[in-house]
Amino acid sequence: MTVALHGAGVHLGGRWIFRNLNFTVAPGRSLAILGPNGRGKTTALHALLGFQSLAEGRRDAPERVGYVPQLLASHAPYALRDVVVMGRCARIGLFGQPKSEDYRAADAAMERIGIADLATKPFDRLSGGERQMGLLARALATGAKLLVLDEPGSALDLKNQGRLLRLLHELRRSRTMTIVFTTHDPNHALFAADEALLLLADAPAVLGSVETALSESQLSRLYDVPMHHLRLPDGVGGAVPVIVPHHHGPGEQRS
Amino acid sequence: MAFAIDPKRALLTGLAISCLAGPARAEPISLTDLEGRNVRLEKPAERVAAIPIPMASIVIAMGQGTERLAGMNQVAKSAVLEGILGKIFPEAAKIPADIAGQNFMPNVEALAATRPDLVIQWGGRGDDIVKPLTNAGLETLLIRYGTEDYARRYITLAARAVGKPQRAATNIAWRERVEADIAGKAKAIAPTARPKVLHIQNALTNLTAAGTGSYEDTSIRLAGGSNVAAELNNIMPVNRERIAVWDPDVILLNGFEQDLTPEFIYKDPILSQTAAARAKRVYKYPLGGYRWDPPNQESPLTWMWLANLLHPEAFSFDLRKEIRGSFKELYAYDPSDADIDGILRLPIHASAAGYDRLRTR
Amino acid sequence: MALATTADIAGPKRWSRRVLVGSGLIGLLAAAVLVGLCAGQFPVSPSRSLAIIGVAILDPLAAPSLMEERIVLLVRLPRLLLAMFAGAGLAVCGGALQSVFRNPLVSPQILGISPGAAFGGALAILLGISGLPLLGLSFACGLGALVVVGWIARINGRTEPVTVLLAGLVVGALFTALVSLIQFVADPNGSLPAIVYWLMGSLAGATWERVWLAAPGMLIGTLVLLALRFRLNVLALGENEARSLGARPERERWLVFGLVAVVVASSVAVSGVIGWVGLVIPHISRLLVGHDQRLALPVSALLGATFMVVADTLARTATTAEIPLGILTAIVGAPIFALLLRRHYGERGV
Repeated sequence: MTVALHGAGVHLGGRWIFRNLNFTVAPGRSLAILGPNGRGKTTALHALLGFQSLAEGRRDAPERVGYVPQLLASHAPYALRDVVVMGRCARIGLFGQPKSEDYRAADAAMERIGIADLATKPFDRLSGGERQMGLLARALATGAKLLVLDEPGSALDLKNQGRLLRLLHELRRSRTMTIVFTTHDPNHALFAADEALLLLADAPAVLGSVETALSESQLSRLYDVPMHHLRLPDGVGGAVPVIVPHHHGPGEQRS
Repeated sequence: MAFAIDPKRALLTGLAISCLAGPARAEPISLTDLEGRNVRLEKPAERVAAIPIPMASIVIAMGQGTERLAGMNQVAKSAVLEGILGKIFPEAAKIPADIAGQNFMPNVEALAATRPDLVIQWGGRGDDIVKPLTNAGLETLLIRYGTEDYARRYITLAARAVGKPQRAATNIAWRERVEADIAGKAKAIAPTARPKVLHIQNALTNLTAAGTGSYEDTSIRLAGGSNVAAELNNIMPVNRERIAVWDPDVILLNGFEQDLTPEFIYKDPILSQTAAARAKRVYKYPLGGYRWDPPNQESPLTWMWLANLLHPEAFSFDLRKEIRGSFKELYAYDPSDADIDGILRLPIHASAAGYDRLRTR
Repeated sequence: MALATTADIAGPKRWSRRVLVGSGLIGLLAAAVLVGLCAGQFPVSPSRSLAIIGVAILDPLAAPSLMEERIVLLVRLPRLLLAMFAGAGLAVCGGALQSVFRNPLVSPQILGISPGAAFGGALAILLGISGLPLLGLSFACGLGALVVVGWIARINGRTEPVTVLLAGLVVGALFTALVSLIQFVADPNGSLPAIVYWLMGSLAGATWERVWLAAPGMLIGTLVLLALRFRLNVLALGENEARSLGARPERERWLVFGLVAVVVASSVAVSGVIGWVGLVIPHISRLLVGHDQRLALPVSALLGATFMVVADTLARTATTAEIPLGILTAIVGAPIFALLLRRHYGERGV
């Protein structure tokens, strides 16, 4: 099962959000869609999911998708466990009610994410990080082979961002699911993706492995700010790559 | 503009007619309407626009024809055309009926186009339906509804306005005579012998009963009945259970709902169990020159009809004869037997107790 | 392991509350129905009422003969049944629509169905039509209003909830104006009072014939909506989330609208427009058991039925004259709703 957009274009409100967008994600691989705000990352994701109809091109995605929406979109006033069990919606059917096997699947997903202890808490009273984990658990509970995340961690503090990214990273390494997520932080892509898709302003999008696509020159072009690769010690004798913007102009040093 | 000129033109026409008829007829008429307002007519009104529904047939009766009726309500017109008046005065079909909406809001331009020298309108229903008339400079006479006293007063006003006060005097003398006759005989009836009567004002979509303060209540009590709904104020909705509790001896059905017949009561699982239904004493009000349940120029006929039905032992009015006599007086018309059968709605009263007397020709 | 223990601790506590609320509400409804059967203007002792019901259950084909039997079996029983069905149906419709529109202020009136059905009924009275044809015309116009709403709201092959809401508003306003027009042309001595009374809402005309006519639509619509209760939770998440979870929001919304139309049009056809039940009852049930429709919707059904039975019992017994039910529900419903609003926003700390 491949996940792809072929020559896709979205026309909204009298203008093209993007045209001729192409990417393919092989099973078990993880793709990050990068771009500054307003470049159509979420629209591209919605186009892939079929939420947004295509003006041209076609999409290739499975019927069932584990989808983690942007945090602001979700504020269901149910217990976390009841939110997670909704991931079983497609199996439960139009007139069905969740049964014990559905709750078992929900509990397993929560355990996998490490939020089982929050099961009975009202979802809308949870912290942002807990809610995002809950939505990820719900996406896993769908049993879908494709996991799609819209700006995961963008509304979270650094600790919770780290937790979420490690989860994504582990899911990627398990190679059981295809993962597509949007982000405006190249470090997220570097850490949790195999491939990156860069939505450039006035040029065709760039697709490649994170190592090749996230070059300093391409990233600088993408964000319109000078970007630099650095290597930080990983504490066990090796080094991890990080990407930082360089906002200072020549000689503009802080004194 | 048209109405500003009209009085003058009317005056000229009036003068011309007065000259022909003799100068004595042109005396001004001063009326006090039922709202206490003064209405002054330079001469008898020749074109009366009657917005209240019962006024149309009263103007026809007092004016001895349809010539003086310049306009009327659509509902009044259908009542006229469907009833016996449509047969007596086929020319009524040409009288405009667009002078007011069903909520009695006058359509001033259509009204002015009928060139009325007097407009009759409802009083007691707010200023909104009156202001447009007085504003336009139309001579307006206000009447009020609901009691026999009001009825006598507006019949008199209508007759005086058209210059025939004697016709009202005749009508009122008849009303007084019949009222006194029935009241006198009814006085002797013991309270226990008075049948319990229910007047159903609406039946088909919801049930309403006529309580104290309604004209129907007055008629019932005059004819020696006791109104089971006396504890209600005027017309109020009631349910079947309440009617079962009242268990009326006689049920009267309004003359307004066309599809309503005594069968409605006989087929109803609850109402069919009342004493009235068991004794076949369910009657629908007749339709003469106007519907007989509200006050009108034929009310004494209503009372006689009701007295005959409530107390056959005490009253034996020859209703067919009375109808003939009064129609001759009111409309200068001699109704046929078939006309009278229609007025009394004989076909739907085929099994009604006490209706045989009304059938005998 | 940690999971199992939390669930176990939470489980029985939750269940005991559910059982408590559920049995309490069923008891309340049973009490209201019993009082409704025994109370009335015609004196029938409670024991006699119950005996009549018992005999009728044992021998349902026997025709009632005595007045007492007729009153209980032919007047009170159909009326109670219609009150129960209409109350439960309107409350469930309100709850379902509030989920679908993700808006707690939505009520069954909003889709233009009630004004449409009201127009049909008023037109029938104006034309002098009564009985079954009146109910049929009212029902047809209610469904017709929904079809028009659907036609207006479908833009570029898609319908968004907000356009449905707006289209419902437009169609509702149109039919309300048409109802005013009918009142304008109606005979003030004839059909007008009947139209006005009918529009105020009343179950005074309840008969078995009307039960047979309206109950199937109300019951089937209500039961199917109840069966959808988990899917309503999913739809309440919003278009995209619901879709990603395997729901087909647009198609399922129309299923809900259609069911609501069947319930509302059936109820308007037999009882006129009865407002507030569909708005207030879902709120009360959410206060009692939370937002989860798996619980809130059945609770709404029970509460709605109870509320309507109590209100209608008052309407027919409080005074000699019959009080229009729609007026009672509004007089009771509006203050309750005001209190709920204050409480709701007070809790939020706004």
